[in-house]
Parts: sequence; C-alpha cells; structure tokens
Amino acid sequence: ALPAQLLAPALVNTLTTNMVRNRNFNNELMQVTVNQSDAEAVVFRYEFRRNLSDYAWNNLYVQLNNFKDIYNLANSDSNIDKSYRGISLICQAWVFSILTDTYGDIPYSEALKGKELVFEPKFDQQKDVYLGLFQQLEEANTLLAGAPNILAGSDPVYQGNASRWRKFGNSLYLRLLLRLSGKAEVAQQCIDKIKDIVDVNPSNYPRIASNDESAILKWTGMGPFTSPYVLSVREQDWRAPSIGAFFIDHLRDWNDPRLDISTYGRNGVNRWGIAQGPNGFAGVKSGYVPGTGEPKQSYFYSSASVVSGFPAQNLQNDPLTGMIMNYAEQQFILAEAAAKGWINGSAEDFYKSGVLNSITLWVPTWSLSVDTYLINADMQFLPTDGLAEKMEKIHLQKYYALFLADNQQWFEYRRTGYPTLPKGPGLRNDGIMPARMTYPVYVESANPSNYKLAVAAQGPDEIFTQVWWQKP
Amino acid sequence: AFAQTASISIKGKLIGDDDGQPIIGVIITDSNKKNLGTTNFDGEFSINIPKNTMVTFSYIGYEPTKMTFANSQSNLTIRLKVATTALNEVVVTALGIKREEKALGYAVTTVQGEQLTDAVSNNWTDALSGKVAGLNLVRSNSGPAGSNKIILRGENNLTGDNEALIVVDGVVINQGTGRRTANAGESAYGTGSDNMPADYGSGLNDINPEDIESVSVLKGPGAAALYGQRGANGAIIITTKSGSAKRKGLGITFNSNVALESGNRWPDLQYEYGQGTGGASYYSFGAGPDGPSTSGTSSAYGPRFDGQMFFQYDPVTQTRGTERTPWVPYNKLNDFFEVGETFTNSVSLDGGTDKTTARFSVTNVKNTWITPNTGYDRNSVALSVSSKINSKLQVTSKINYTNRNSDNLPGAGYGNQSLMYWYIFWQPSADPDWLRNYWKLGQEGRAIQYPFSSFPENPYAISYEFINKSDRNTLTGNIQATYNFTKNLSLMVRTSLDMGYERRAQERPYDAGTRLPKGSYRTQNIYSQEASSDFLLKYTKKFKKDFEVTATAGGSMLKNIYNKDEIRADSLNQPGVYTTANSAGPLATYPFRSQYNINSFYGLLSTSYKDFLYLDLTNRIDWNSVLATPNRTDNVNFSYPSASLSFLASEIFKLPKLIDFAKFRTSYSEVGSGSTIPYRTSYNYEIAGSGLYPGGALNNPSLLPNPNLRPLRTTTYEFGADLRFFNNRLGFDVAYYYGNTKDQILTRIVDRSTGYNQVLVNLGKVSNRGFELAVNGTPISTKSGFKWTSYFTFSSNRNRVEELGDSSVVLRNGPVGGGQIVVKVGGSMGDLYGRGYQRAPDGQVIYDEATGFAKISDEVVYLGNTIPKFRTSLGNEFRYKQFRFNALFDAQVGGVAHSLSHYKLVEQGKLTKTLPGRYSGIIGNGVIQNADGTFRPNDKITFDVDGYYRSHMGIDNAEGSTFRTDFIKFREARLDYTLTPKLVKKLGMQKASIGVYGRNLFIWSPWPIFDPEFGTLAGTDIVQGFETAQFPSTRTYGINLIIGI
Repeated sequence: ALPAQLLAPALVNTLTTNMVRNRNFNNELMQVTVNQSDAEAVVFRYEFRRNLSDYAWNNLYVQLNNFKDIYNLANSDSNIDKSYRGISLICQAWVFSILTDTYGDIPYSEALKGKELVFEPKFDQQKDVYLGLFQQLEEANTLLAGAPNILAGSDPVYQGNASRWRKFGNSLYLRLLLRLSGKAEVAQQCIDKIKDIVDVNPSNYPRIASNDESAILKWTGMGPFTSPYVLSVREQDWRAPSIGAFFIDHLRDWNDPRLDISTYGRNGVNRWGIAQGPNGFAGVKSGYVPGTGEPKQSYFYSSASVVSGFPAQNLQNDPLTGMIMNYAEQQFILAEAAAKGWINGSAEDFYKSGVLNSITLWVPTWSLSVDTYLINADMQFLPTDGLAEKMEKIHLQKYYALFLADNQQWFEYRRTGYPTLPKGPGLRNDGIMPARMTYPVYVESANPSNYKLAVAAQGPDEIFTQVWWQKP
Repeated sequence: AFAQTASISIKGKLIGDDDGQPIIGVIITDSNKKNLGTTNFDGEFSINIPKNTMVTFSYIGYEPTKMTFANSQSNLTIRLKVATTALNEVVVTALGIKREEKALGYAVTTVQGEQLTDAVSNNWTDALSGKVAGLNLVRSNSGPAGSNKIILRGENNLTGDNEALIVVDGVVINQGTGRRTANAGESAYGTGSDNMPADYGSGLNDINPEDIESVSVLKGPGAAALYGQRGANGAIIITTKSGSAKRKGLGITFNSNVALESGNRWPDLQYEYGQGTGGASYYSFGAGPDGPSTSGTSSAYGPRFDGQMFFQYDPVTQTRGTERTPWVPYNKLNDFFEVGETFTNSVSLDGGTDKTTARFSVTNVKNTWITPNTGYDRNSVALSVSSKINSKLQVTSKINYTNRNSDNLPGAGYGNQSLMYWYIFWQPSADPDWLRNYWKLGQEGRAIQYPFSSFPENPYAISYEFINKSDRNTLTGNIQATYNFTKNLSLMVRTSLDMGYERRAQERPYDAGTRLPKGSYRTQNIYSQEASSDFLLKYTKKFKKDFEVTATAGGSMLKNIYNKDEIRADSLNQPGVYTTANSAGPLATYPFRSQYNINSFYGLLSTSYKDFLYLDLTNRIDWNSVLATPNRTDNVNFSYPSASLSFLASEIFKLPKLIDFAKFRTSYSEVGSGSTIPYRTSYNYEIAGSGLYPGGALNNPSLLPNPNLRPLRTTTYEFGADLRFFNNRLGFDVAYYYGNTKDQILTRIVDRSTGYNQVLVNLGKVSNRGFELAVNGTPISTKSGFKWTSYFTFSSNRNRVEELGDSSVVLRNGPVGGGQIVVKVGGSMGDLYGRGYQRAPDGQVIYDEATGFAKISDEVVYLGNTIPKFRTSLGNEFRYKQFRFNALFDAQVGGVAHSLSHYKLVEQGKLTKTLPGRYSGIIGNGVIQNADGTFRPNDKITFDVDGYYRSHMGIDNAEGSTFRTDFIKFREARLDYTLTPKLVKKLGMQKASIGVYGRNLFIWSPWPIFDPEFGTLAGTDIVQGFETAQFPSTRTYGINLIIGI
C-alpha cells in the first residue's frame, strides 16, 4: 500500500464517526437538539447506556491504525515522504485527543501494535497522552516546513496542500494547549507555548488564517464523499429530534443570519436548514422530567424535505458538516488567551473576528457589520466586562463556531463551564454534566488487566469521574 | 448309487415379495457355494441339479431362500422376502464405500428416498426432521428457497463453522454450489434502509428429492474420518438413484405432486383499539377539524372501536377523507398472505441389460409462495449410467443438472424494505387493501404512497417493485471406473465436479427508502467450482478360514474456486429501467475471489474375525493451502487417525431366544481442520469504499491475519449398541459419545486500541457429549395384512467451554436490546445474556414507585441457552392391504430465544396481551422496594399502559421478550393407496399409487410469534437465538400420484 491510498478513507471514516457522535451525543448534551423520548437512558438527561461508548472507541482506533500506517509507509526505505508523515502525525494527534478527551486515560504508547502481537495494550495517563501529542505536533510542524504537496486526489480536506496541513496542525496545537491551560501542573508550560506560537515564533508556527484554510472535509455528494449524515442517518430520523431551546433562542434573539430566511435563505429555508415549529423558531427545553416534555418545535429539515415546491436546503447533505477545525474556533482560542493576558493583541478583536468568521463560513454574503450585529444582539464587549463576562460571551459565540465539530462543545463546556446551560428538573447524574464516556463494556473482557489498572488509576469507570485535565 | 445322483431340472421365476416384480441376477448356489446360475431379465432360471440338493437363492436386499428339490419343476414361482435383519444391510459410508452395517464401529442412520418424498416441502432437507437422532436443522424460513443448515450432534465449534459435510454422489458441495451466499451490507436487522437479505437458497435445496435413493447420515467424526478435515462435523451422504436391471424392459415412472401451503400459526393481534397513542380520545388522519394529526404513529394505543366516526385515510384520493367515516377494525392483516402452490412433475426412465443399466429423470417444479409475487421454477435432469465393459472393468457416471429460476424472492428481516416489518407496523384500524395502489397519484414510478409513519414501506410496492431475482445453474457429477485386477485387488478412479453459476439481481424503484431515493440496481455473478479427483486401491485377503483383511489406500486432489462479482448502481437516471447503463453515478464494484487446494492421502484397514469381530483403522493426511503463507508451506499438512470396533455378541454367545441380534461398537477418532477460508495467513489491505475512491484507496484489514495458523483438532470417543428382539420386531440403537475440539480457529474480538477488531488465533477447547436412541418396532403384524410399524428417536447434547484463553468471548450480538451470545469457560455455546427484570430476593418483579413500571436490571443476566436440550420424535406407519398411513410427531425442549417481533408488537400495542389496563389503569404483579430496603406488594396504579408494557416486554427488557422455543409438532402425515398388482396389470401399468399428505400440520409451543423453529439470516450463516421479524411458517397439504408403466 502507498500512503496516498490510505488517507482519504481514513479521513472520511473518522469524520463519519465524529459526525454521528456529534449528532446524537454532543448535540443532546449541549442542548443543540432534544430527542423527545421518555425512554430510559436519554443522553440529554445525563444518562446513557454503556454501549454508547463502543462506537467512537472502536471506529477511531481502527482509523488511527490507518493514520499510523501512513507514517510507517512514508518512512520506509522505498518511500520517504515528509509530507505524509507530517499529515499522519497531525491526524493522529487530532483523533487521539478526541479519544482522551472523551474517555480519559486511554491506550496510547502501546496502542495500534496488534501487528507486533500486543493484544492487551496498557492505558496511559491522560497527561502522558497529551505530552505525547504535543511532541507529535512539534514533529509534524518540522516535517511539513517547506514540504512538497501531496497527491491532491488523496486529500479531500486540503487537496494536497501541505502548508495548509501545517497550519491546521499548529491551530490544533493551540486547541490542545488551551485545554490544559487550567491544569496547575502543566499550566505554565502550556501558556508559555501558546505565547511562543502566537507571539514569539509565529513564522515558525503558521496557523489557519481564513475560513478558506479551515480544516473541513467538504462533502461533494459523489460516491464516498457523500455526507455521512446521508449515508448513516435515515431521513426520517434526521428530522425527528426537536431543536433545543438554548440553541435556537439565541440565534432567533440575535437575528442571526444563519437563521434568517428572507435575506440569507434560499427558497424559504434558512442557511442551517432549520424548520419552524408550531411556535415559529422555537425549541424544546432540555432536561425535562420524563412525561412532561413540550411538543416538538423547530427541527432540521432532511434531504427529503420539500418547502414551497423545492427540496429544502438542509444540513443532512450540506458540504460543510465535515467540520474538523475552523478559523473561527482558533480566533476564539486567541480571544480567551488574550483576555487572560497570555498573549499580545486585543481579546475583543479576536472575539469579533471569531464571530464574523463563524457567520461568514456559512453566509459569505453577510452584509451587516459585526459590531452592529453584536450590539443588536447585546453581545458586544462592554468596558465594564470582567474576565467572567468576557469568557461567557466568547464561549457562547464559540459554541456556535464549534457546531458540528465532533464533541468540542462538550469538551469546552467541561473545561470552562461555558456557555451557561439551563438545567432542567429531569437531569440525572446529580444535574452535573457527564465528565466522560465509560470505557466500552467489551474492553473489560478483551483487555481485563489493563482495564482494571486504568480504573484504579483514574477512578471508577463512570460518567461522573473527571478526567485528568478536568480535575482541579 | 447312480440313481441317487440322478439329475433333475428346475425351471422357474423369482419375484420380489414386496412388489411382485421379477428379480434379475439372483445368484443360485448349492450347499458347497458352487454357483449354479443366475436369473435372466425376466427373473427366470433353469438349473440342473442332483436330486435332493439344497439350493440357495440370494440377492442383495432380500433374505436368502433355501430350498431342497426332490423332483423336477418347470413352472416354479419363488417369492424372495425383503431382508429385515441387520446382517445383510449394506450402508454407504465415507468416500462412498459400501459396507455391511454390522461391521461398522460407529453410528450411521440411513434415510430412504421414499421417506424424503412422503410429504415434500420446498426444501427436501426438512424431511430429515424427526427421522435421525442427533440431527438438528436450523431453518431460515425466509421464503420459498429458504435454506437450512444441518448440524449433527450439537455445536462443538465456537465459530459458525459447524455444519455437516454434504456429499452428493461423492461430490462435496458445501463449499461449492451448496454454499450459501449473502450480499454485502444486507442485514436481517436492516433499519439502515439498505436492501433486506433474500434467501437465495443453495445447491442443496436444488437437489431433486425424487432422484434420491438414500441419505446416509454419518453423525460423528469417527464415521466421517475418511473425509478428512471437512468431515469433522459429520457428513450427510446423498446417493442418487441408479438404473436397475431388476425390472423387465424399460421402467417409466410418472410422479405428480400438488402441494398447497399457508400460514399455520399467527400472533394474537388485538382488534379493539386503533391507531394512536396514550388512549387518544379522537383520531385524525393528518391535522383536521378534530385536532392535530394522530396518524403519524405506528402504535395502536388509540381510540377504542366504539362506533365513532373520524376523519380517516381515503385510499382513492390518498388524502384525508372529506367526511368522517366509521371507526372500525379490519381484521384481515393475515389475509395479506396468499396460498402458496407447488406443482412437481417428474418422469423417470430406468432399465438395463446384464451389462449396462441406466436411469434418466426429468423434473419440473413450479412454485408460488405465500407472499405476493414470489416463487420459483426448477428443472432438474439426472442421468446415471453404469456399464460393465468386461468382466474386469466397470464404468459408472452420475450427472445431475438443475436450473432454478426465480423472478422474485422475498427480502427477509426487520427493516423498511421488509414485508414483516410492515406487518408489525400496520394498524388494526386500517385496511391493507388501501395499499394496493402503491404509487402516489400522479407520480407513478417515482414515489410510493404510504399513509402513515414513514418507517415501513408499502407491502405491495415491496412485492411488485422491490425485486430479488435469481437464476442458478448447478451441475454436479462424477465419472468413475473400477478395475478388478484379480478377485482380491481392485482400483477405483473417479473424477467429480461441482459447478454452479448464478446470476442475481436486486431491483429497487425510485423512493425505495432514504438511501435509495433514485432506486437501485445491483447484480451478482457467482461462479463456484470444486473439482476433485481421487482413487481407491483395495486389496482383500482371507487368512486361514476366519480372518479377513481389506486394505484400502486412496488419495485425492481438490481444487475449489469461488468467485462473486457484484456491481451496484445505487442511483438510476430513469425510474424502472434496471440496467447498469442507467446508472446515475459511478458503478460500485465488490469483487470477491477465493481459491484453495487440498491434497490428501488416506488409508483404511478393515479386519474381521469370523463373523463377530470387526476392526477398522484409518489414517488421513491433508495438505491444505489455506494454511500456507506466501513464505512457507511447512504447516499445511496434518494427519489424524481413527479406530473403530464392532462386536457381534449374538454371533458368539448363546443368547436368550428373544434376542435376535446384539452388536456393540466403539470408536475413537481425531480430525484436524485447517478451515476453508483462504487468505488469512498474510497481511492484505482491503479496498476502501467499494472501490469508489479515486486512486484505489485502501484500509488496513479489521481482522489481523495469523501467519502461524495451525489446524484445529477434534477428538471423539463413541460407544454404541444395536439390539434386536422378537424376530426383529423390536430394535434399539443407542449411542453415547464425548469428545472435544481444541485449538479452534477463532476470530478473537480484541480491544480496538490494538488497531484491529479481531485477530485470528488458535484458541479454546469445547467439550461435547451426547446420547442418542433410536427404537424401531413392529407392534402388530397380522396374516391378514395389517402391519403397524413405529419408530422413536431421542437425542440430547451438552457442550461446555473448557478453555478460552483468559477472557470471555462475545460471539454474537442480538439486534438492539435483544441480548448477546456470550461464551465463558464453564458455559455453553448458546448462552443468551441480556437485561431483565430487577427482582426481589424471593424472585418477584420490582416496580418503580413513581411510575408503576417494572424496573430493569443494570447488568446483563443469564436468560437461558438457545440450543435445545433434547429432541425427540415418534413416527407410526399402518399398512393394511393397499392402504398405508403414516404420521410423525417431533418435539424439542430446553432452548430459549429472543423475539424482536414480539417486543415490537408489544411496544406498539398490537398484541392482545397489551389490552388489560386500557385505560382504567393497571397494577403490575410484584413488589415495590421501600426506603428502608424492605418490599411491599406493588400498589402503584399506572395509567401509562404503553409505558407499562414497554417496561415489561419492550426494547430494554430482553427477558420480557425471551421465550422458550419448546414445541411439539405434528410434522408429517400421509395416507396412500396402491392399486393391486392385478388391477395395475390390467391397466397396462407396473404400479400405481395415490397419496395425500400434510406437513407441519400443528404446532404446540409457548413461543409467541409464528414458529419456534426459526433461524435468522446472518451473512452466509443462519443463526439461532434471535428472532428478527420472521415470516409465518407454513402448513402444507398435498396430493401425490405415482404411475409406473
């Protein structure tokens, strides 16, 4: 096999996993949607079945095996290729970080060694996983400096552009550094590195600089590049959940162009393909007690929805749902770092740039000035705002920028407590946002001794056990 | 002195006592075993013998008859009685070697051809049910071509690789035409909107039962040891009919059969409440004057049928009716199923000279099945020729050709393209006839109309537009030459071929579910070929007088090729045009290639001492290419021995008179198996995304191959006895066996953090023990011609997992919350686990104080074993003059299974068991846990009846929809009348009979849905334990006419 042969399917399959979990796990926890079922074990009620854990674990590790293989194949005597090695390391860091942020301690140093007959790999502590990922990203940045482009057809994200991969890698580096920036034992090291990347050595660490450079696998609808939401979700299931009140109320109150039908919509449908419910653009309050739910309100149009005689614009087959990391997210990372005084530059400017690019990613023709939008929405930075108010605003806007990006909304909420989600009376887990997914049940049987060691080190294998970076 | 040796002349005719037909080739000997002659074509003979000579007339299958003649005779008629003692029974054993049953040290059950055709069904193997102790049929019940999986003596293999070897006239068909083939991506739990799996059957179904002479069931590996690695799970040896020289001239037999089948058992559907949820007070199809729509649900927890009037669906306008119409039940859901019809007509010709015999038959079968627009046609041709070229050389050949063509086979399972899914989702308040016009008005060919929930599909659209086609040609045959160098030394050389070619297609219209909005056309071309050549060199030598040795040495070369090419066009330019040229996008291809060779040498040493002690020793070495790697071949060969002993106590001891025959037998065998799945010993990347990625994209394999794969090994000991009493009026055959299979070739599920789903390992040890009993008796036999014969079988089997690395292994997950099959050390192969009730220490169900619902356990609990503990059967036959009546009952006890149909029907309020409590409230039978941990009787009345039943039998409570699969079935009955030979002769025929029969007439079972004997299609396998929207099982009635001229 050649490195070029492995990349595209590994990216597509990873995104498929992330998008499915984004839809029925992250979005339920983060009140984007409310699946109106009175059944037991409903995600939005902070209670889920253990078998929910299997999907991401199983699929992401198998794709990591493909990403890792790209590195090995590009590092053999017959094929030395810096570009593929760099891209492989970035993808590994991306996927491993999602795994550790979801589960906590995970197999890392001994993972992906089935070929070497390691069938029961040890679990590494999250700190060691993160330090390993930082190293991989450093190595990727070095490898990709001046590296040639790769085969365009093998790369559905950047069409072979190696320098854009390098920019994504460094932006991802910032995402991961920020995630540890509150953890005392590594905080200073991370803050220093953020400053190094942003202020001290920016030319050595090029970053995503526009929406165009965002890491997004844009679905073409052709063959394997058909959106996983079309291939893996039935049309009727796609439009089944109602949209959460938290998610839609802000957009409606802000007059957000992504919800606007008349100016930025097409054939009577807004950019995010959200249908109006009995109460217009309204959502269902999450976290209700079983049996007390409100009737379904707004929902996402599906690929089969028809509005005034035209197929409705909808996210089910939208090209932009293959979200890996966008420019806006990075701007919000910088806004937080600046607000906390870690880097030069104005937090407000980064914040506005984040809001602007978050909207123009979807509505490039947006004509309003971002200042006007923020003032109308009452979301502008005020001179009286302290760090808490700024964080609230940054993260409420970041919440929309992270829409569709795997479990990032959930990770950021766990790290910062923002945005402030309303809590319904029906919540389980003592009303506390689940801190992790449990390990897949079969791992208890398939990797028993290391599983026991991991539980002993991290704490009970429950959703309330905090992962390392979340613990004080 | 001279006068005493005076010669007399005897002329006469020998006929069979059974059919009155002349017997050709009867050997006539004197007391010194000197050959005096044989009978001719007309069964006539003429001999000259000294006076008072005792003459013996013998012919295989008949009792030797001894007569002493004092005077010449010129018009003698001698009737030869059909042999009934074991002493002369000849059975077909491994490699087609015919042996006297008494010499065998292992169990063989022979089923005669007519036992298979007494009450024929679509799959002739159904007729093996209840006739062979230790045989288990796992049925897919998935349409007219429904395939069966045959398991002998329980399951000893942790993987699905536990089927008996199927041998037709020396041709092994399991891995060729007998192989079941699934289409990629099709799953019986198919809610992903992909195609539902159709059961295309296999070449085993296509064998024409009319052509079968006998089926030899070699139950244990001891019996099948000579078949080598593929015989580890026993063997079914099918011998087709040959021409016989017994008849006068040419025998022509017409056999005509008409069978009707219809559903024989239905769920208890309720017709008291209609569509709706929560006991709604009104109904409205779509939002209307009465309120918001209540027609989107699949539940029948709506208004009671009380003579109200509501706005309902109008099938003419396909919208809400303009006026309120009466709210009434339509108890006709089961009428959707039709009466299936099968017409079978065959002609066979058979005859021969003393040198050459031949048989030729042609059979045509036409079937329509119980769901609309399904069925198949089958044409078979069989030819058998045997010729003695000279006194030393005999050449025989058998060729069977079948074409089976189906314009549509039903998709099975649970998913929007499935009929049974619709059956579960349909409403008691709606008329299935409303769906007959299945296109949306004005959008014919483009959009399908279904009035309610968007989950199910219109069943008439499925029947007439969702087409699964199959056209299969199979050819199996052999050519065999035997050369007798001397009386003691012979060589047999044989070449056999099993070749199949099948074209399949799946056509889907526009609007066929959300994955196929613009239809789909998929085709598979399947080519299979297994060619083998083998030889057997046989030498017999008698030492002294009592000691005889037969040494047989053989070898074979086998090559198996299996190719399947699938092409998919999952989006079409024009609706209804099913060609690949009409594809709207790139064609996806799914090529599959498999090839392996097995070369073998084997030997059999049979020794006998006098007529009471027989010892067989065998050994076989296989070289299996499956175990080779690109770098080495040193572990491809493996050998294994077997030994068996038969001891006829009745020949040596003076036994009480009532004992006619007593034989004791024992055997030991080892069988190795290297599996027959090639390409698992070296690392291969997989084609990603069905080849649609640019640049030939790949994935790493999800199964990590194993370059050090070893063969597994099965060791078995068997003990048995064959006892006959009262002039052979009562016979017992008992067998006990135990053994184990170790180093199983397993795909072990590993932590995915290794990068792989599974790794291929040699692991585990499973022990298997069982008991089998067969009783044959003739309780009544009178001179007036009344005869009652009876047979009884019983078999039980236990398997236990002895070793399993260090972990439990999940073998199979049920769909949704249905549970899983988990093997653990100390457990059994079919252990079913799932979530169940929370129970108080005294076993009572605990209810939730707040909701009144049953509480469900947090952990999975053991729900039972899916493999029945024992099976038993009782058959009786009564003959009186020209009448014959037989009836067969069989039963199985001790297994459980989870029913998906049941849980779904309950959740939707479709079963009568969901009626109590609507809507007066219900208090579940059980307890509530008090705050201090004690229990009190449940006192919480719940009005959420839907939620209440869901907690008992819904998706989360696997225990609530797990039922025993015990049953008693009235399996077969037949009454026939044979015309008297006199009348037949008058009509210019040789024989004529007419019979009526029935199959699966009644089922008594606690199983709630259709048939407890179900199997679920899972890829190429049929699995037990998880019912997944099964089709109704059918009762068959038929008439059968046989005329011979």
